[in-house]
Amino acid sequence: MLFLTKYISVGMWNMHMKGNGDQEPCFFLKGLQPSLYVELSHKGFHREVVTTVELGSETPADVRALLVYRWPRDVYVDPYQVASLSHQRGWQMLFNTAIDLEEPAHRTSEFSTYVFPSHAGPTPNPLKVTIPIHGRYHKPSFDGKTFTPVHIELPELLLWTKKCTPFQRLEPHTVLDAPCTASNTSICSWVKIQNPNKNSVPMSLHLPVGDGSTVRLISTGTLVVTLICCVVLCHSMLKHQLR
Amino acid sequence: MMMERLLSALTEKRVLFPVSFVVRLALVVYGDYQDRNMVVKYTDIDYHVFTDAARFITEGQSPYNRSTYRYTPLLAWLLTPNIYLTVVFGKLLFIVCDVLSGLLIYKLLCLRGVGCQTARYVSSLWLLNPLPMGVSSRGNAESILSALVLGTLLCMEVRRLAWAAALYGLSVHMKIYPVTYALPIALSLRSSHTETNGTTQSWTWRTPVAFVGSFLNSKLILFASVAGGVFFTLTALFYYMYGWVFLHETYFYHLTRRDIRHNFSPYFYMLYLTADSRWSQSLGLAAFLPQLILLLVSSWTFHPDLAFTCFLHTAVFVSFNKVCTSQYFLWYLSLLPLVIPHLTLSVKQGLGLLLLWFAGQAVWLAPAYFLEFEGYNTFFLIWLAGLFFLVINSFILVQIIAHYRSRKSLERQKAE
Repeated sequence: MLFLTKYISVGMWNMHMKGNGDQEPCFFLKGLQPSLYVELSHKGFHREVVTTVELGSETPADVRALLVYRWPRDVYVDPYQVASLSHQRGWQMLFNTAIDLEEPAHRTSEFSTYVFPSHAGPTPNPLKVTIPIHGRYHKPSFDGKTFTPVHIELPELLLWTKKCTPFQRLEPHTVLDAPCTASNTSICSWVKIQNPNKNSVPMSLHLPVGDGSTVRLISTGTLVVTLICCVVLCHSMLKHQLR
Repeated sequence: MMMERLLSALTEKRVLFPVSFVVRLALVVYGDYQDRNMVVKYTDIDYHVFTDAARFITEGQSPYNRSTYRYTPLLAWLLTPNIYLTVVFGKLLFIVCDVLSGLLIYKLLCLRGVGCQTARYVSSLWLLNPLPMGVSSRGNAESILSALVLGTLLCMEVRRLAWAAALYGLSVHMKIYPVTYALPIALSLRSSHTETNGTTQSWTWRTPVAFVGSFLNSKLILFASVAGGVFFTLTALFYYMYGWVFLHETYFYHLTRRDIRHNFSPYFYMLYLTADSRWSQSLGLAAFLPQLILLLVSSWTFHPDLAFTCFLHTAVFVSFNKVCTSQYFLWYLSLLPLVIPHLTLSVKQGLGLLLLWFAGQAVWLAPAYFLEFEGYNTFFLIWLAGLFFLVINSFILVQIIAHYRSRKSLERQKAE
């Protein structure tokens, strides 16, 4: 009985929406094919993830975009660096958790960030977002491998427009709840665009790791050299002490 | 001749100090311009950390809400004018402390029997040195510590013990490393009659008792009370205000710090490879022993000359520490001008040692750059370079020790 009541309520809501013609602003989303291309630049532990989004010429001017990145624990984004960059670059980032800037990878966890391309004015088209990321140190390897692979998922593209309340089916796209703005004071229903990615391969990088098999050599060598330096310095101090 | 005249004019007291301040001020102004207009920023990340922590304080919150703020709350409180007045207030404070350090070096050198003209030349090694200029104008707070430590040494030299103790307590509150000076200070304040008898007396059961008893005199008790009072009052106040997180971030973090990321320390790679192994604790302790032994030996052998002992202490502490970054070098470089006039090294030998020190850093920086910015696996080379740098530092210290003539030994030589 409860299920039937719900079904009728939703159906009536849909009829109400159709009656008001509110489906029209959402209609554009069905046919929309925005494209998203991501590339990784620089080398070493400090990289940049450059995301380019083309919304398409038919996209209304008041459409807002949101990029959702899910980062592995092997890398981190510095919230303080991003905050200082957002003034210059015009986008704002929201983190779903506090970030430790110093811990090695195995002591942290994955995290997500929400990138809001513009806090004022229409969304730029094409939209380009450059995010600096930093590699974390990893556990030393004991199998002779000198690098560890890191795979980064491609971001999700979400769109929103004030005139469209997406309760209708918008296949192939889906509806997702996410913060409305970077201030995270309210939740909005965003439309997640399916398969916008032009990348043929996922993003990956390789980070150097220490060679665990050399631990005996390293430890012995370190302790021997530091001991010798200590003995030499002690000898010198005792020989030239002030009387 | 022209150069000599120029040098002489530049190191005139009324020229040297104002010029050093003006140059640092110009760097602060330039730094502001570079930050606004260029991709690579002049200001150090630490300065942003201090400013963010000060902002939290102005909002009635704890400065430790700022991640990686690992300093005393006193520093963030001192920098609250960064928020109320101008963001460069902190940098101005640091450059003033930097020039003050130069003035304290000059005063100390004059008191230690170095002629005032030589004292000015040697102070200019600090005042006109681009390294401390750059460090303080970029917003590092090291100059506050160097001013406090030099102030302590100056007050000890003129026997103003209460002031020395207050400055010492404050310096230990701000950074832990001056705590190592407690032993040479205690040895230098011991009752003097035991020193003259100690070496000729045969060892009886009275000797250790007399040794311990020599520490119980009014001067040492006064020093310990004032220094301890200042330190514990500040600790209690900030513990009351900010709780356990203050103690952890300001002190315990630095005492237990095991930064496995690459740095100048000879122990870096060993600690990285053994970070999660069962040997981690024992190796950490083994790494601490050379530091401890050298601090004890240097205190015992050179305590009559407090400035030299403090220099040796700090140089040894930094070189044998489990973590070593270039900021730490300033801790002993600020004391080096006090040592230089007493060295019998020639200018050529001195410059040679300086070049060797820079070469040791360059040999480390090369593989470190390739690891961090090019992604090559250069861990083994960084390890070798770290050990090489330790060997170079040890060699330089041995040369300094071997060529050091304290004021007393110079006077004794003259008398003979």
